[in-house]
Amino acid sequence: MTLTRRDLLKLAGLVTAVAGLSGCSSLGELLAAEPRARAASGEFVGSTEEYRRLARLSYGPTPAERARVAEIGLGAWLEEQLAYQSVSDRRPQLRWRHLDIVSLEANALAARGRREVTQALKRTTLLRRIYSHRQLYEVMVEFWTDHFNISLDKGDGWYLKVVDDREVIRKHALGNFRELLHASAASPAMLVYLDNQANRREAPNENYARELMELHTLGVHGGYDQRDVMELARCLTGWTVKKHFWLGEFRFDPERHDSGEKRVLGRVIPAAGVHEAEEVLDLLATHPSTAQHLAGKLVRRFLTDDPEGQAPELVERAAQAFLASEGDIRALLRVVLYDGLLARSPLPAKFKRPAHFVISALRPLAAASDGGEGVQEVIAQLGQPLFGWPTPDGPPDTAGAWSRALLHRWRFALALARNELPGSELDLDRLLAAAGGGRPAEVMDHLGTLLLGAPLPQVARDDFLRALEQTDAAAEELPALALAGLIASPAFQWT
Amino acid sequence: MRPTDSNRRTFLRAAARAPLRLLWPAWMPRLAFAQAAEDPRGDTLIVIFLRGAADALNLIPSHGEDAYYRARPTLSIPRPDDPRSRITGRAIDLDGFFGLHPAMRPLLDAWQQGQLAIVQACGAPDESRSHFKAMELMERGITSEVGPASGWLGRHLATHGGNNHSPLRAIGLGETVPRSLYGSVPVTALRQLTAFHLNDDPRAARQLRGLLRTLYQEPNEPGEVGRETLGVLELLEKLDPAGYRPTSGVNYPDSEFGLGLKQIAMLIKAEVGLEVATIDSSGWDTHFVQGGSSGLMAGLIHDLAAGLAALHADLAEQLGRLTVVVMSEFGRRVAENASLGTDHGHGGAMLLLGGNVAGGMVHGSWPGLQARQLVGPGDLAVTTDYRDVLAEVCELRLNNRALAEIFPAYTPTFRGIVRTSSDPVPAGT
Repeated sequence: MTLTRRDLLKLAGLVTAVAGLSGCSSLGELLAAEPRARAASGEFVGSTEEYRRLARLSYGPTPAERARVAEIGLGAWLEEQLAYQSVSDRRPQLRWRHLDIVSLEANALAARGRREVTQALKRTTLLRRIYSHRQLYEVMVEFWTDHFNISLDKGDGWYLKVVDDREVIRKHALGNFRELLHASAASPAMLVYLDNQANRREAPNENYARELMELHTLGVHGGYDQRDVMELARCLTGWTVKKHFWLGEFRFDPERHDSGEKRVLGRVIPAAGVHEAEEVLDLLATHPSTAQHLAGKLVRRFLTDDPEGQAPELVERAAQAFLASEGDIRALLRVVLYDGLLARSPLPAKFKRPAHFVISALRPLAAASDGGEGVQEVIAQLGQPLFGWPTPDGPPDTAGAWSRALLHRWRFALALARNELPGSELDLDRLLAAAGGGRPAEVMDHLGTLLLGAPLPQVARDDFLRALEQTDAAAEELPALALAGLIASPAFQWT
Repeated sequence: MRPTDSNRRTFLRAAARAPLRLLWPAWMPRLAFAQAAEDPRGDTLIVIFLRGAADALNLIPSHGEDAYYRARPTLSIPRPDDPRSRITGRAIDLDGFFGLHPAMRPLLDAWQQGQLAIVQACGAPDESRSHFKAMELMERGITSEVGPASGWLGRHLATHGGNNHSPLRAIGLGETVPRSLYGSVPVTALRQLTAFHLNDDPRAARQLRGLLRTLYQEPNEPGEVGRETLGVLELLEKLDPAGYRPTSGVNYPDSEFGLGLKQIAMLIKAEVGLEVATIDSSGWDTHFVQGGSSGLMAGLIHDLAAGLAALHADLAEQLGRLTVVVMSEFGRRVAENASLGTDHGHGGAMLLLGGNVAGGMVHGSWPGLQARQLVGPGDLAVTTDYRDVLAEVCELRLNNRALAEIFPAYTPTFRGIVRTSSDPVPAGT
């Protein structure tokens, strides 16, 4: 669509007007009154929204994924992704197959070097996020990793978390929440991280009991009190970790257990050894507050930073679906995604957290990466060290927590564009060739499409080119600088 | 990549009306400025960790005590008035009982100006005498394994309600960020300030900065943050550690420690928003031929004292808003060992330097070095928990009252080691 100069100026004038208005909710609405202008900008708004949805269901959509979605529709693609085990990962797996020490048992891992083990875990995690075709599954693995946060830096966590990642998080990420919760409670990594391994009758430790209710299930306003925490801690006495044969496995120690009746959330829990806490876990897994808490977190993850304000009915409906399906994570997710992410328009913005931001630059540009310390360090510098979040609440999921730390994002953008990121490689020449012809405007259109979902509007694109022109960069340096600018730009920090 | 002239005229005119606003797509949030609660900013805090368990007994010898000389026939520092030893080898008297190792002489000025304080018999409850374990617990600010994985400084930064969003709010000098700084606030480890440049190639860095200035023009929060970050970057470009001129007459030692302190001083003077800096001095695990007035440990002390004294002089004008804490994971055995060194001990000492420190005094209750006064295999007892000192600094100097979160499961006792700024300075200092 060619624009006359008058259209351009009109469009520019409208944009200026919008920028001056504080109450207007979207450019789209205003332009709806101007049919010709809408036709000019409609493509930008429309196609970008679908891109943005796909960008949240993945770690940055590749051209292949976008083509597939264009072919079968986002809904059908989503169903494929939910049935993740049917998505073939044979070829991507070749990239992390050699790191198979992550499939070892705890006592075998403990015998290996700490660096070797932690690197294997971090590398496989990143390689999967970058290369796996099961993108939604990897996004949900990250979600539950954060939800049931465990730091590698505490005690024996460095090898215990490898087992937890495999047997707790990955096993149940798109399964059933009750099973996920039971697995987590008995996970030696969790028992060490939140000190329950030291929780015994003579010296009760409430740390895990509290976080179990506050963070993992009911939520801080979920309707429990300090007494409930203490009573749950009593139920959990004796839930500990073996220090000898077999090192690093769960063990219930009856000697440490506080027998005797407990009362949690209004229910009497008769003395039953290890089964007491199991009964409470069942209670927590099916509690309405848990459903609300989890639904809220998922709506925050995929739709908006303000679930209570922007989507309260959606949270409610999703919570109901969770309860009705007895904790089926996919049932919960379908409501959040179909009724929320795929349905809401205009789609509220979400700021990209560090790992997501970094990988969303690698994937669309087909940058090769070894998932090693080069990229790990970038993500850590951006504030989200892999398996290194020190507090049990996990890294936050609102813009405010991340949007002020720009410097290292900019550093990364330039390093990636100039191929200075150790362990990663960007084929800029191939990208430019794909842009066809190499004319500046076409290059910008191509990069814009890859990274932001659509070519920049002509005015913005030409402005960008003018800003590039004002630097003293030589002609051959401009593509890398342009790419760095796009990755560092405000628009790329958001989906 | 140069547009033709007619195109240029077109979009130059359009650009004048809507500079890159369409790079700010419609769906991006129109954020209001965040209204954050403000705690007033306190001092800049520098934490110096002496790695390896520094021998406090020779750093601050209790020359007034016979037991010290009986326990260390070879290693002890001679009394201030000992005629058998050279003057330059004798302890520098502080208060008739305690003295300073002679290599601490550069800090005598600060002591006499009341800006250097010592806390004796200071340390942690942990009796493992294991470097690794003791350091970890001390940096996490907890008594035993059980407790938060974050560091005490990380928790301080997370709980302080100030509006400081500088990318240089907290830095750790060294290869990795020390455990004490782990927390939810991002901290960068840097060996040199060049880690804060956009790229090692100054041209590339400058080019991207130019582009970013245009990209972050918007009058909204993301634009604000972008411009603030660019401001810090532009400042840093002008700062060059090699070319930095300290206050006239000040000479930092030519060591990694000295260079680190110099960079911290430079950042403080440049007012880039630095709130917390950590730096290590290593090599203090003197099991073997430790030396007394001279030798291995004396060399370490010299580097420490010369560096601190240079910092003190260089930042004379900023001292009122500066607190420096020197600490170590534990002290060393009272008796010297068979290799003319000392083994791992328990109680140690802390030093504090700053304009609002209750200086010119030795704080803490001295348990004594007689056999019956020692603990374990013959170590100095701890009578002041290190957290008492740090908590007092947090509340009185850093304006952070969230002590229960910074030091969980511990109730600190303040001992008057630092003052609030409004306290009068005692006469005579």
